[in-house]
Amino acid sequence: MKRRITLLSVTLLTLIVLLLPLLAACDPSGGDATTPSGGDTLVIYNWEDYIDGGDREMGRAPILDDFAAYYQSKTGRTLHITYTTFDTNETMLTKVLKGDAPVDLICPSEYAIEKLLTAGLLQNQKQLYDSLKPQLDEYGIKLDGMSSLGSDGNIEPDVMSVIKSQFGEVKSGDQTLDMTEYMVPYMWGTLGILYNKNVISQEDLDTYGWGVLWNEQQSDVLENKILMKDSVRDTYAAALFYMYEYDLLPDKYADIASAQDIINITDDDMLEAAEAILTEQREHISGYEVDFGKDDMLNEVVYADFAWSGDALWAIEESYDEETDDYYLGYYCPTGVNEKTGKQRFSNIWYDGWVIPTTVKNSLAAMMFIDYMCRPQSAIRNSIEIGYTCAVAKNLLSSDAAVRAYIEEQEYDIDEYFDDIGRYPEINESLGVMRDFGARNDALVNMWQRAKAGSAVNLSLLIIIAVIVGVVLLALAAYFIAQALKLRPRKLG
Amino acid sequence: MKKIVLKKFRLTKKVFSFPYILFLLLFVVVPLVLILVNAFLDGDNKFTFENFKTFFTSPASTIVLGNSLLVGVITTAICLLLGYPVAYILSKMSSGRLIVLLYVLPMFINFLIRTLATKAIFIAMNVELGMGTVLFGMVYNYLPFMIMPLHTTISSIDKSYYEAAQDLGADKATVFLKTTLPLSVSGIISGITMVFIPTISSFAISQLLSNGKIFLFGDSIQLSFEQNLYGVGSIMSLVMLAFVLVSNLIMNKFNSNSDNVRRSLW
Repeated sequence: MKRRITLLSVTLLTLIVLLLPLLAACDPSGGDATTPSGGDTLVIYNWEDYIDGGDREMGRAPILDDFAAYYQSKTGRTLHITYTTFDTNETMLTKVLKGDAPVDLICPSEYAIEKLLTAGLLQNQKQLYDSLKPQLDEYGIKLDGMSSLGSDGNIEPDVMSVIKSQFGEVKSGDQTLDMTEYMVPYMWGTLGILYNKNVISQEDLDTYGWGVLWNEQQSDVLENKILMKDSVRDTYAAALFYMYEYDLLPDKYADIASAQDIINITDDDMLEAAEAILTEQREHISGYEVDFGKDDMLNEVVYADFAWSGDALWAIEESYDEETDDYYLGYYCPTGVNEKTGKQRFSNIWYDGWVIPTTVKNSLAAMMFIDYMCRPQSAIRNSIEIGYTCAVAKNLLSSDAAVRAYIEEQEYDIDEYFDDIGRYPEINESLGVMRDFGARNDALVNMWQRAKAGSAVNLSLLIIIAVIVGVVLLALAAYFIAQALKLRPRKLG
Repeated sequence: MKKIVLKKFRLTKKVFSFPYILFLLLFVVVPLVLILVNAFLDGDNKFTFENFKTFFTSPASTIVLGNSLLVGVITTAICLLLGYPVAYILSKMSSGRLIVLLYVLPMFINFLIRTLATKAIFIAMNVELGMGTVLFGMVYNYLPFMIMPLHTTISSIDKSYYEAAQDLGADKATVFLKTTLPLSVSGIISGITMVFIPTISSFAISQLLSNGKIFLFGDSIQLSFEQNLYGVGSIMSLVMLAFVLVSNLIMNKFNSNSDNVRRSLW
């Protein structure tokens, strides 16, 4: 009997262990926005390494803690923040579109925001503000920094005007929505080339532009030492800009004149041309990455990397060489004219922004958080920590005494910080915004699959392997023959 | 009342299989059904055959599949060529078991860590990452899977076979060709299966050791799912499943002709 009880309990335990995850999965993360202990909760879904995590040595708390303290000081309630991260927009989209992520705040890129908006998953922040008005007045909270409530708030007007011009009228079902009412820009930047100054000179960059990534200068040092992004949209953009600069576009696109015209073309002719260009590029590059490019550049394993401006700026800072008192990495966002072809160089400008999904539980905290992120002091903390350019207006930052003090405390030169064209490029016609490709996305991914597959493995390798196998077999045969000869019975007499 | 219920429930050996059956249903059968369903759905969850057309008419998928099979065949061949002599020699040694353990030990370290370390070594040695490094990584990772079944099979061959052969005047080569080799066929077959199938479906090794330049079938499946192309991804998974089943069928066919089926599978 005793044994049976033991066995039964073992079975039960096994079952419980197996079923626990299921139970946990069924449990909705809080029916409302309060924890059992009485405080409020806020669930944030952001990019990895995309916020100031504080600095214990300097006595600076993580910005999330500062926000929780601010929330408590205003509302009198404690706030428990759940912070989760994603590594690509696609991961985030899969979760949110399938409804698996009951979150209050997300920080996707512009095209992913458009996709979420089209799917009807985003809260209109302007309407949300109106419904929250009584509460906000009660607590004495103003949300002046946000750009989604009618004015530009603290956000750079140039950035806002680009978003307005591209996403001012987004179709969702039979409605036309203004995306600026649904998002507040957080960070922005460009696409360009992170390069090693010892291998690639400024002159090379001026002469070859995007061609550097195709090793147009035919440098032996650079050959096979180039990294591209393992990300279909970015790599496709690079291929388009390269084709335009080198006059390789299909004939029917002869009259394209701006970055915005070219960047969202995804018809079959263009895909075919891009595929050929990307397949050709395979011969010159080391490979595709999304995470180790910065490290490989710093370790000088590769000499050029197709990079996002923020990543590049971060890497440049790390590349300080004490011997030469200089940075050996540089960032180049192709501009100007290619002298050989007479064509303008284009690049991509992108934005990440805060959105509130319809699944929001604590909309007050979500709105307050966005506003908090738009304060110059918060913006500069995040910006310096992660390397990307915050969307808060440059003149607002440079005129804020606290911001200036913080920049100096972090050992930057204030003028240098704001004059860096890698960080603050001129926003003009030569920068285009990439939109959601909608139904054409599948065709693009298929093209990318083909480009990555390359051609079949070359024959020389097969021959080498066949030779190796042959040699081994021959050696074995020789060994056995020798053995056989040794053991052969000798003829008598 | 309670007593009756308890009496009806008997804790037999069968009961212990219930948790596993439940596990199997949840994590093997259900996902398989999901894959099958997804293969026939388009982006808007409508029934379609379009995914099959996309996959089977695209030259890229044939190239990728061909490359993966090629890598699989080459890896398996190299593993067999390296593994057989090792297993043979070790089975003749009295301390062979211990040394086999040394071959298997690296497998206790996570393969991702091993692969990243391999990559760091290649970079330090200035070796260009590409097909060669991928093949090295594959062989390095899957060689133990070849040695283990071979070693078990060869060392379980009755020694009296050799002695009989030698008594009858066979030289060493003949002894090997007439006894050891035929008697270890089942080990060779299970070794081949255990190396070939994981190789054609692996994705991280090729991605890491070639910086994503060598794009195998596993990589392709991963990219499809990552980019929300569940339909095509599911079909690729089905194709992979077909390969696994076919390999298993072949293995069973060979094994049924041989006596030491059970001994060869570890």
